[in-house]
Amino acid sequence: MFKLIKATFLGLIAIAFTASSYADITFVSWGGASTNSQQKAYIDTWSKGSGVTVENYNGGLGEIKAQVEAGNVTWDVVDVLPDQAITGCDEGLFVKVDQSEFINDMVVPPVSDCVVPQIFWAYTAFYDKAAFPGKKPKNIKDFFDVKKFPGKRGIHTWANALIEMALVADGVKASKVYDVMSTPEGIDRAFAKLDTIKDHVVFWSAGSKPLELVSSGEVVMALAYNGRIGAAVLSEGKDFEYIWDATVLEQEYLVAIKGGNEKEALEFMAHASTAQALADQAKYIPYGPMRKSSIDIIKKGEPWFIKEGGNIDILPHMPTAPKVLKRAVIADPVWWADNGAEVSERFGAWKGN
Amino acid sequence: MNETTTGSILTTEGVPLKVSLQKAERRNKIRAILLVAPLLLFILFTFLIPIGDMLLRSVDDSYINTVFPKTFKEYKKWDRQDLPSEELYKTMFFEVKDSEGYAIGKASTRMNYAKSGWKSLLKKSKRKFKKIEEGPYKEQMIAIDKKWADMEYWKAIGVMVDATTAGYYLNAVDLKYNVDKEVVRQKENRRIYNHTWFKTFKVSVLVMVFCLMLGYPIAYLLSTLPLKYSNLLMICVLLPFWTSLLVRTVAWMVMLQQKGVFNNLLVMANVISDDSRFKLIYNETATIIFITPILLPFMVLPLYSVMKTISPNYMRAALNLGASPMHAFYKIYMPNSVPGVSAGCLLVFIIAIGYYITPELVGGKDGQMVGNWIAYHLKTTLNWGLCASLGAILLAMMTVLYWAYNKIVGIENIKLG
Repeated sequence: MFKLIKATFLGLIAIAFTASSYADITFVSWGGASTNSQQKAYIDTWSKGSGVTVENYNGGLGEIKAQVEAGNVTWDVVDVLPDQAITGCDEGLFVKVDQSEFINDMVVPPVSDCVVPQIFWAYTAFYDKAAFPGKKPKNIKDFFDVKKFPGKRGIHTWANALIEMALVADGVKASKVYDVMSTPEGIDRAFAKLDTIKDHVVFWSAGSKPLELVSSGEVVMALAYNGRIGAAVLSEGKDFEYIWDATVLEQEYLVAIKGGNEKEALEFMAHASTAQALADQAKYIPYGPMRKSSIDIIKKGEPWFIKEGGNIDILPHMPTAPKVLKRAVIADPVWWADNGAEVSERFGAWKGN
Repeated sequence: MNETTTGSILTTEGVPLKVSLQKAERRNKIRAILLVAPLLLFILFTFLIPIGDMLLRSVDDSYINTVFPKTFKEYKKWDRQDLPSEELYKTMFFEVKDSEGYAIGKASTRMNYAKSGWKSLLKKSKRKFKKIEEGPYKEQMIAIDKKWADMEYWKAIGVMVDATTAGYYLNAVDLKYNVDKEVVRQKENRRIYNHTWFKTFKVSVLVMVFCLMLGYPIAYLLSTLPLKYSNLLMICVLLPFWTSLLVRTVAWMVMLQQKGVFNNLLVMANVISDDSRFKLIYNETATIIFITPILLPFMVLPLYSVMKTISPNYMRAALNLGASPMHAFYKIYMPNSVPGVSAGCLLVFIIAIGYYITPELVGGKDGQMVGNWIAYHLKTTLNWGLCASLGAILLAMMTVLYWAYNKIVGIENIKLG
């Protein structure tokens, strides 16, 4: 009996050692429909190593900085927003990557040396068609007009995109938004516009919440991540309608954390940023790939979005569709890296007082 | 009297008894210390050192001094009237250009707290300075970015030149250093913390009061019922403890939202009209409503354990001697239950004041507490100095309360079980 235990024990150690030559990696992303699409597009197809553990987080560099500073890195690949990509790369939290493979294939140049391209996503307003039997809201002005369209609005708890949208609703041209935001009066103007809906807002912080708020009738309109709206419409048959006006377009990247399993992380990132992988992700969620050649793959393959009983054209649901882009604001991560903290505090004061 | 009493008492080996006793006791002491050593070390490493580190972070400003030592030295000569001299521009230029690794990136995050805009200015400068070979540097730097000609940026450096700063503490109470390093109030539209402190305090006190109001009768019932019923009730009190906090909160959300079960029932029963539904979620009221049931067990348990020990004979005796039930309760039962009340109140208050997840989920626009801001700065702005000072103030507040409590009620009167 003892021999048996001993043999099993030694065997286990041997397995542990052979497996450790290729480490597992931990992939951290935002959860819900978004992580689900990543799972199907490039985690399930990842055959190297013995596995990828998926974790969820709510953004921010706090956990990552804590891990790197304590020398106890448990996350390997993280899905980040561009301003975090800039700060994290500058502060040495992320590994620099070789970008030659994709740099000429990207719709916009990468924001830092540490990233591989993922997707464009957007903050956009939407409503349930049932909430407006008569006249329907058409643009962001209507979202800010509680007289014309009474009822509560769901907005997120941070300032990004809200400032931009408020300014467009106040008459600023989408292409001039950041010029106005760079003046103190511009920010005042945005907050004055936000004041007009202050008593009519419900705040959300998790991406699935606005869908819930609109479905349950708690609010009549909400801002949400376009992919979540799209997934609800396309996969769950919800009767939501986008308001494609002053849609704020954001970028998203993958980074490898310094001090993690860097070698495996970088290989995984190369796998997860191929044109095919990015195109495949759009089969499950309507986010726009950052690589030009991914869009070509989708165009050839339409109807691309996978659905039981017949696939659906995905390009019209993407935030990078030409008719959306014409009226969209492209978020400026550099402006937010500079002014994010100050504007956020002001936004907090606005919320609380 | 014989000799031994005037000298010292000796043991059989001829050693003075005092010395021998000390020896034996010392051995015992060492043994005792060794026994508690693991626990002591555990507390030291997991509790005292991190807290000490946090307290240091709240005043530490030394990193930036290691990145710009020469510039800061030169800076002290500047008269702060006109743009700095070529000499200051030159030292700044070389310290940015020659900096290695991630020094500039980390420093720029710190500098951005002092003045928004430093971050991109330094990043851009670091990239472009490489192309500049020779002086004069002032004009070339201004040509790269006109922010280099903005006095506000130069003046903002002034608050960072010392290795320690009270700036984070000032920020935590809506004050700040102005560019001349005088303490002034924060710009009006950025004042959030004093308001938040007040609210955190208010919410905690209210939660404590409501927990006491709800918990006292429950604990009384539990302690007076026969065992077989009280056990069942006890399970009901403890059941929420075994459910995840998130599940409980979400369950309450379903009940209390505007189109939720509670409001729907009231509308169906025609108690309220369809458009005057109660707003029980996403505001300060919600924060209080949601935290109270979550912390209720922390009030009930200490109360119960104390009430269990109050002999029913006291009340019987009081009633027997002619006191009205109210009077007997007021004079006999209540004073006896004070240790439980104080333990419960202190426990609930301490937990409530640092609460984070529930306000985050249901607090909406005005139900956010200090914990939420700590989490925000910890995760999003990476301003850990400000987090540390907020945390330190919270710690200090608790210590003061605890001290006052000890003076007034006495800590020995606390009973947790």
